[in-house]
Amino acid sequence: MTKTPSAWIGRILFWLAIVLIAVYLLFPFYWAINSSLKTESQLQMTPGTYVPRSPGTGDVAPTLQNYGAVFRNDRFLTGLKNSAIVAVSTTAISLMVGAFAAFALGKLRFRGKQPSLYLILSMTMFPQVAVLTGLYAVIRTLSIPAIPSMILSYMLFTLPFTTWVMTSFFEGLPNELMQSAQVDGATPFQTFYMILLPLTLPALVTTGLLAFINAWNEYLFALTFTTIEPDARTVPVAIALFTGEVSFQEPFGEIMAAAIVVTIPLLFLVLIFQQKIVAGLTAGAVKG
Amino acid sequence: MLNRKKLTLLGLLVILALLFAACGGDAEPTEAPVGEEPVDEEPVVEEEPTEEMMEEEEPPAEEEPAGEEEPAGEGEEITLRVLAGNVGQELALTQAAAERYMEANPNVTVEVVDTPDFVQDRLGVYLQLFEAQSPEGDVFQIDVIWPGDLAEHFVDLNEYGAAEVAGDHFDAIIENNTVDGALVGIPWFTDAGLLYYRTDLLEKYGFDAPPATWTELEEMAATIQEGEREEGNQDFWGFVWQGNAYEGLTCDALEWVSSNGGGTIVSPDGVITINNEAAIEIVDQAAGWVDTISPPGVTGYGEEDARAVWQAGNAAFMRNWPYAYSLGQAEDSAIVDMFDVSPLPAGEGGSPAATLGGWQLAVSRYSEHPEQAADLALFMASAEEQKIRAIEGSFNPTIESLYQDEEVLAAAPFFGSLFDVFTNAVARPSTVTAPQYNETSTLFFNAVHSVLIGDMDAEAAFAGLELDLEDLLGFETGAP
Amino acid sequence: MSAESVPINHEQEPASPKRRGISDLAKREERLAYVLLIPTLIILFVIAFYPLGSVFYNSLSDRRFASGQESHFIGLANYSNLLSLKIVELQPEVDDTGQVVVDPDTGEIDYPPAVSVLPREPRRYRELAQFGLLGNRYVIGATDPEFVRAIYDTVAFTVITVALETVLGLGIALVVNSKFKGRGMMRVVMLVPWAIPTAVSSRMWEWMFKDTRAGFFNILFQDLGLSNGQIPFLVDQAWQLPAMIAIDVWKTTPFMALLLLAGLQLIPSDLYEAADVDGAGKLRQFWSVTLPLLRPTLAVALVFRTLDAIRVFDLFQIVLQQKRYSMASFAYYRLIDGQLMGYSSAASVVIFVIIFVFAILYIRMLGVRND
Repeated sequence: MTKTPSAWIGRILFWLAIVLIAVYLLFPFYWAINSSLKTESQLQMTPGTYVPRSPGTGDVAPTLQNYGAVFRNDRFLTGLKNSAIVAVSTTAISLMVGAFAAFALGKLRFRGKQPSLYLILSMTMFPQVAVLTGLYAVIRTLSIPAIPSMILSYMLFTLPFTTWVMTSFFEGLPNELMQSAQVDGATPFQTFYMILLPLTLPALVTTGLLAFINAWNEYLFALTFTTIEPDARTVPVAIALFTGEVSFQEPFGEIMAAAIVVTIPLLFLVLIFQQKIVAGLTAGAVKG
Repeated sequence: MLNRKKLTLLGLLVILALLFAACGGDAEPTEAPVGEEPVDEEPVVEEEPTEEMMEEEEPPAEEEPAGEEEPAGEGEEITLRVLAGNVGQELALTQAAAERYMEANPNVTVEVVDTPDFVQDRLGVYLQLFEAQSPEGDVFQIDVIWPGDLAEHFVDLNEYGAAEVAGDHFDAIIENNTVDGALVGIPWFTDAGLLYYRTDLLEKYGFDAPPATWTELEEMAATIQEGEREEGNQDFWGFVWQGNAYEGLTCDALEWVSSNGGGTIVSPDGVITINNEAAIEIVDQAAGWVDTISPPGVTGYGEEDARAVWQAGNAAFMRNWPYAYSLGQAEDSAIVDMFDVSPLPAGEGGSPAATLGGWQLAVSRYSEHPEQAADLALFMASAEEQKIRAIEGSFNPTIESLYQDEEVLAAAPFFGSLFDVFTNAVARPSTVTAPQYNETSTLFFNAVHSVLIGDMDAEAAFAGLELDLEDLLGFETGAP
Repeated sequence: MSAESVPINHEQEPASPKRRGISDLAKREERLAYVLLIPTLIILFVIAFYPLGSVFYNSLSDRRFASGQESHFIGLANYSNLLSLKIVELQPEVDDTGQVVVDPDTGEIDYPPAVSVLPREPRRYRELAQFGLLGNRYVIGATDPEFVRAIYDTVAFTVITVALETVLGLGIALVVNSKFKGRGMMRVVMLVPWAIPTAVSSRMWEWMFKDTRAGFFNILFQDLGLSNGQIPFLVDQAWQLPAMIAIDVWKTTPFMALLLLAGLQLIPSDLYEAADVDGAGKLRQFWSVTLPLLRPTLAVALVFRTLDAIRVFDLFQIVLQQKRYSMASFAYYRLIDGQLMGYSSAASVVIFVIIFVFAILYIRMLGVRND
């Protein structure tokens, strides 16, 4: 196990890159944590401090009052539940329906493939502001309650996304796979769920994750659809409706605390998810 | 190998499907309460004026002689939705008022729905409901600048008994809320721009009173800023205010212009007056504050940005709404008992002006129970309710007599000294320019903002603004 | 039945004409494809048909939002109000004797204000910019300079952010794709910026960019001796776009990185083994194996990032508000503040067209989707 000096330099550079990436991605998040532990007067202090310090003495003085306020806020807690329901459903449907479509678009031959792809993509090319009014009219006409209407309308951006991404993944798989399955007598559909899906599963998990977070973070549609159904509000809306004691006052510390509270469980989920599922399946897929 | 993968995959799909099914199931209960509301098909709704409210040009008063009789039929269960501010204490007070109303009217359920505090978001939410002509909101809390633009969506409260109480409220607000003879909203609470000043610093630098003119303010701010910086506070500024390109700048700039005798952008009788010497002079003067007595970033400040600097003890003067008073006196504030408020300064030879702010209650034309909703709105804006809000939440009443009320004055002492500011507040030209006030205001604050950031001088900006307003409104131009 | 050899449509490579029976299989395959596509198309049709249709329809009318006012069909008038440009030459100021007026202080020629030369009827042109060319001075007038500026800003924002995100995202994906201890943790770290709701992360950055030393960047710049700690990042026009780009790159690089990572994982490892056997260096492997095989994923990632960047809304609405618009925030303010539904819809259609152009460009450039 001798290592040449260049290999050592390579390793050092590699770890340096990792540290740089981590700092770049995490520092603003750290700043949010820092802000969430400050009182209003600590936030307003000049110069601001890298850890919460008392304005008078300069001692380290973090406060948990912002977190207390967040957890006392019922709307925030129901918001977590609603967001989970909406984001999970949206992701599940988009992945399932999108995978079917992507299989057709990526591996089957049929007339109208290009137009279909562009048609699906074009659905998501308008700014949300523009479609909001029309969408609201549709939802009111069909009298759909807030939660299903959010699930349905989020498809507008998640479904084209999952379809396109999965199409490209399926296309990337060698055709020999399908051929050999067919030699074994599998129908195209069997090939799809017995071979293609498992092979692309890690990629599907990533796609699902990206779609999930997109849906989790959506604000404008949710704000409008839940106006008169406050119990259906999602997390971003709940946070946006955080207020201070009096009008105009923006409870910045609480908003940051809420951001931390919604982000950390999400990260834990991802950590567990990716270790348990992605790692295992990647290993399997590569060998298969 | 393949089997295991297949199983895992199937398992995953099943989990997803189950989750989805569970959500579907979960969605049902959320659905239920909506169905219970008398929104769509609930049979309880049997009032006469239900049909096609939106197509009726005449208010429902046609069918029901205005106001007098008991609004709701006996035993009829009604739900009313009030869309109101969501701020902690404000919301609690509104809910308490709703409770009191429900006690007095057992057949009515009042739901208070909180809406975003950020004004543009709130307007967006309201507009979506109006666009859909939704009967789901009954009473709306509306900004003082909205009656004109939104008039077509609200009933005339005069037809529901507001005519008798309108006289108790400040004339300026009632006038502002009256569109083509219809009272669109009943005033709920008011607001006006104030000058906050540091009493300790004024004393330290030998000033015995807050500035009466903008030029005095300039000089005092410069002196204090220089002194404080020399003593080592490099973050200190003389004067902070709202200079971002938004409605708040319209308020601030209107105060400058009006206090210098430059009119109110568009006069109440529909003449575009903004392009005049007095307005140009004062806006150019204000542009000179940026990066001298005010931070260079002030052209991005809203209310909260100004307060952040002020409350950290880094400003000698601040222009803001009354809300900043109680926060400045909060426990951990750096300036507790070191400041006071006064009317804003005036231009040379002008008189002080404070922009009128505040909120009204309006009743949607699409409501299924306009009668009852109007009754609720009038109840919430009544003298008794305003008194409770004034005492418990320092909301400035819109009813003149409350400013002499001893209990109110005991709870909020500065009401007394600022009575004149509130009575003489200058309304933005929102009613005369309706339904184009928002565009008018956007053109105005963009013009002022371009002067503040040094893109052009006020003369050029207001010459252009005048042309834009002529095109937009089709009004004549003239002197203020 | 091989997917390769089924002759279906004309653009396909000529398939070996075999037995007739194959076309039967082809039909079955085609039918299956339609069946699989149907759910997606139905869902999208239900939610998108009316809203998208009404955007196009409204863009041709003078409809006001939330108003009973009658609307009229006005053809393409909204588009011409949004997009009309005119270049006019500005003649120097001359005094009574016909001499060109020169500013005594700066020695530069005095020009009259642009308003004087820009047409006012039938539509008013406002000054967008001025430029000098061959000793003459010209004014660019636009009927809506704000929108033209928004197009320029949004496209510049998009090109720069997407380029930076692609490079950074690819770098991060490559690093994380190699095996090292703590890789799982790193993948979670990667997700952090993307997981914070935009509505919140924008506020967070707004605070970091504060114009006083309560904001991180002003503290940092001062500690580094670069400024006095009073830079108004979000007000100073030179800083606005760089600040927005910094926020967006931080926020969405993870999206790019994760997607590319997924693409990397699909590249069979035996290809690298083969390259190793051939003695190809890491760099050669990257160019000859990784990049070509990553191309489809890259194309999709680029399409969706670009799409989101051109539609960028929350970020501009929260951080810059009405100081400077993206195209979508312009559409928002015209709709909510101005209640100009027709006009706002026309702006949205312009966004749509620009996105479409970008999407087609990428797909052509990267040579995917042309089978």
